[in-house]
Amino acid sequence: MSKTPPTQEEVARHKQTNVMLSRVAGSLYWMSRYLERAENLARLVDVNLQILLDFGQVSDETMKEHWIPILRSTGDESTFFQLYEVADSESVMEFVTFRPENPNSLLSCISSARENARQVRDQISSEMWEVLNDAYHFIKNSNAETVWDGGSSTFYDQIKYYSHLFQGITVSTFSRNEGFEFIQFGKYLERADKTTRLMDMKYHILLPKVTDVGGAVDAAQWQAVLRSASAVEPYRRFYVADILFSKVIEFLIFEDTFPRSLMFCLEQMDDFAHLIADTPAGEYRSDGERRFGKFLNNLHFTNAKDIIQRGVHEFLTEVQIEISAFGEHLYTTFMYHPPVDMQAEILFHQQQEQQQQ
Amino acid sequence: MLFDNYQPENFFDEMFTADGTTRPHYRSVAAALKDVDATEFRNKQAAVEASFMRGGVTFTVYSDSQGTERIFPFDCVPRVIAAEEWEIVEKGLIQRITALNLFLHDIYHDQKIIKDRVIPPQYVLSAKHFRREFMHIEVPKDIYVHICGSDLIRDKDGRYLVLEDNLRCPSGASYMLENRAALKRTFPELFKASGVHSVSNYPAELLKVMQYCAPNNFKSNDAPNCVLLTPGVYNSAYFEHAFLARQMGIPIVEGRDLVVRDFKVYMRTTAGLVRVDVIYRRIDDDFLDPSVFRPDSLLGVPGLVNAYRAGNVSLANSIGTGVADDKVVYYFVPHMIKYYLGEDPILPNVDTYLASEPQDCAHILANLDKLVVKSANEAGGYGMLMGPWASKAEIEEFRKLIEENPRNFIAQNPISLSRHPTLAGEQFEGRHIDLRPYILYGEKIVVTPGGLTRVALKKGSLVVNSSQGGGSKDTWVLRNKIPE
Amino acid sequence: MPESLPNIPSEGMRLRVRHLTRFHYDGPVLDSYNDAKLCPVSDPLQRCAAYNLRLDPDVPIHTHHDFYLNRVDHFELHTQHLSLEVESNSLVETRLDQRGAAPTGLTLESLHGPGVNENYFDFIVESKFVSQNVAIWKEAVDIVGQSVTDIWADAVKLGQHVHSVFAYDPDWTHVHTNAAEALKDHRGVCQDYAHVMIALCRSQGIPARYVSGYFFNGKTGDENEASHAWMEVFLPGYGWKAWDPTHNREADTRYIKLAIGRDYDDAKPVSGRFRGKGKQSLEVIVQIRQA
Repeated sequence: MSKTPPTQEEVARHKQTNVMLSRVAGSLYWMSRYLERAENLARLVDVNLQILLDFGQVSDETMKEHWIPILRSTGDESTFFQLYEVADSESVMEFVTFRPENPNSLLSCISSARENARQVRDQISSEMWEVLNDAYHFIKNSNAETVWDGGSSTFYDQIKYYSHLFQGITVSTFSRNEGFEFIQFGKYLERADKTTRLMDMKYHILLPKVTDVGGAVDAAQWQAVLRSASAVEPYRRFYVADILFSKVIEFLIFEDTFPRSLMFCLEQMDDFAHLIADTPAGEYRSDGERRFGKFLNNLHFTNAKDIIQRGVHEFLTEVQIEISAFGEHLYTTFMYHPPVDMQAEILFHQQQEQQQQ
Repeated sequence: MLFDNYQPENFFDEMFTADGTTRPHYRSVAAALKDVDATEFRNKQAAVEASFMRGGVTFTVYSDSQGTERIFPFDCVPRVIAAEEWEIVEKGLIQRITALNLFLHDIYHDQKIIKDRVIPPQYVLSAKHFRREFMHIEVPKDIYVHICGSDLIRDKDGRYLVLEDNLRCPSGASYMLENRAALKRTFPELFKASGVHSVSNYPAELLKVMQYCAPNNFKSNDAPNCVLLTPGVYNSAYFEHAFLARQMGIPIVEGRDLVVRDFKVYMRTTAGLVRVDVIYRRIDDDFLDPSVFRPDSLLGVPGLVNAYRAGNVSLANSIGTGVADDKVVYYFVPHMIKYYLGEDPILPNVDTYLASEPQDCAHILANLDKLVVKSANEAGGYGMLMGPWASKAEIEEFRKLIEENPRNFIAQNPISLSRHPTLAGEQFEGRHIDLRPYILYGEKIVVTPGGLTRVALKKGSLVVNSSQGGGSKDTWVLRNKIPE
Repeated sequence: MPESLPNIPSEGMRLRVRHLTRFHYDGPVLDSYNDAKLCPVSDPLQRCAAYNLRLDPDVPIHTHHDFYLNRVDHFELHTQHLSLEVESNSLVETRLDQRGAAPTGLTLESLHGPGVNENYFDFIVESKFVSQNVAIWKEAVDIVGQSVTDIWADAVKLGQHVHSVFAYDPDWTHVHTNAAEALKDHRGVCQDYAHVMIALCRSQGIPARYVSGYFFNGKTGDENEASHAWMEVFLPGYGWKAWDPTHNREADTRYIKLAIGRDYDDAKPVSGRFRGKGKQSLEVIVQIRQA
């Protein structure tokens, strides 16, 4: 939905104290998304480094099989092979953590989060800014060697810590205005998307040989997925028994008390989207809202068995499409701002004149 | 203690007379500082600076590609202005801005002052910031200069002189407010018994000015929607923009937040397009509207000038006010006061020579080693030759520049600016200062009682600009006259 | 366009002008801001009896007068479009100049009298398309000698010089060619003739300004004509007097004046800026008929 100029002047004469610039909303949203993305990435890399420890000595081929899906899940495989020849722990870790050429590296994500925060520096609390600033300087002052030397877990834990700190500070220092809703919406959207990609990755990579299903390797891998979502302990509270494929799927998708499950994130998105659009709870007014509402409603009448039967990968792909469409809907309706590309803009400014003869 | 070895020397000292007696309006400050030792004073000063850094009360240095944020160094000894002195300053400033505003209206309409041969036409027409595009535009309430910061200095005899006028986007008001807040926190005891005028009304007054100058076509019972237009977070004065917007409770917007449709200005918000009536713009004319001025500007809003022309939006300050910032035009301000108001100027100019007048030019070229030469359109202490302190090479360079383009230069006799006790190491020493008061022109003209006192922190230096080693002081205007 | 008609009309004329400018873009264009200076002026030498401006796409027009008191019709197109048509139709009555012949013997001294120089200051200094350099100055000195002895006569000499050394060549220069470039090559169109003559005059201290307008060449068919440009010289006590260096003669009642300025930049008939990636093509139709 695009905005057209109001026909009646008075319609547009809002009390200015109530308005939020689209640009500001957009910056808050992206700040939040980038930081959440960074946190998920930190988990993912950390857990995968750890899994390798369980494997002991591995062949180059196994190593590659292990890391490629991670590159694929962030969509940066081709960029990677422009920079590196071999996908092993060192190269992948450096690529997804420090390389500025990789738009989804930890460094890029945290820089982008900080950059967006800087654009709205006067609209967020000083404490929020300081955390992002600290996180930025922390990663700027680190490199692959220092991470290996100092212990990779310590490093990635620190990144997660910054993210958690930021979320806590946001809740306790940021006014509950529209800006808060954009921050939260962005966070849950990013988290929902990353949770699906995490499950999908396991489905892809570690696609078990039939004989492996239920075996020790399979269990270890599913445990890694849970750990990547900080979900091992909560899972254990629900399912005391072994880590089973179907149970993990059920937990990560449907457990709506767990704040990283898909269902929890989607419902949060729905709630905050209602607040942003000023739509009463339970109602769906625009096409975008109706589509998401329908999708969410269908999901409530689905269970893990249906999903496994249909194919987990197919299900996750559909979910990703729905999440992205809903994000796009909110973005274009409330936040869209023509991007300023200096060079292109200058190029596009043309003059029209005629010579006098 | 801190004043033990203080020497006014051969300068006008704000606090002491030549024989070392404390001037009456400084008595209470002197008494309060009597027992403070250097360590305590320095600690307090460090605390203020730390709080500025944390609070982001900073500016960005242009020549620093890292965009490093610096604080404007702050000196805790307040500059005090006696009530009777302020009365004169205030009257003088009101007179001056009234005349300047009449000049701007005239120059963009009938140009009577040129026809009556008070100012030679070439000086106005060749002024860098004279906007031909702006001719014949009617501005709301005929006010061009809503916010003005004229720089004042005091000479050897303590006479206030006007050094230059800033009629485009004068900055620094946020420092005036932050300096006062900081000093109140650090030295509350200084304020007791002194009876100091408050400056905290500035943002409210500024908002009143903006609302008063609603566009000619504005017809609503509500207050007009006001915004502050900033070049963006990378601008050196972004802190000030954000600070003032917050204090006034108005949105701070960038060019890309605004859009012009059907000669009306809107901002893009989460609730759709919202009408904008008044813009306090902190962007220079050149960058304001790429469809009229510089086409490569991405800071501005295409179509803004025509919306302004159509009477659908107000700008503070108006377009084209920079013509009066030109130092050649400055030379004629006393003539303007006489011409438009029939009065003698209350605050005189510094004696100025115009390089474009043959007689003056000969004098300038013969005395380059004794004069201060300034280019007509530079600010911030750039493009200047301080003759008595300059090298031979610098003098010859300026000689060439002046001969090539005399219109672009003026010269003044160096003024030994007044000095003020300022912390230097273990004790107070005299440092040169100036004063930038803030004048707001709305329903009536209001001069904020106070301002920004800038101080040259380097010993003997006369350059007070923040970009070149200057600092600042809180500026007090006393409510009551103090008997001798 | 250079034309030579034997008969200089001995009385005023009623002329009807249609000026159509069509822009085509090969990609969508938006945020287009345009100014048209297409309305004939009304002064002692001509009267604009009717004027109408048509736009397609049709958008509102805001009119104001610029620094040189030219009428400016401003319009903006915010939505995407692939073409823009600007058509002006006007009816003009031209008159014989009642001031008589230009005064002779005016020296540069006469320009310094009281109340004179605010009239021409902008027209003796450099401007966007009329910059000064040694070549220009030298070329002028070769014609008028060390100093100007008769403003009008010397200006005419400079104009005749331009006409004699220049070759009319519509394919050589472009809309942004300045006086110095055109002088180097000795070729161009009327815009360049005017710029060069203005530059030569100004280099000698003679106030000279640019005029944009039309010239009625007496054709009656459907041939296309173009907008024209010439120049004017300031004569103290007399006013501005026009000379057309392209045709090497004074302007007469066949000339219709639209706008004046320091150079082409101030007097563009149609100008604008827009955003769009595509290339543009331009089509201009000017028709002038006796009414």
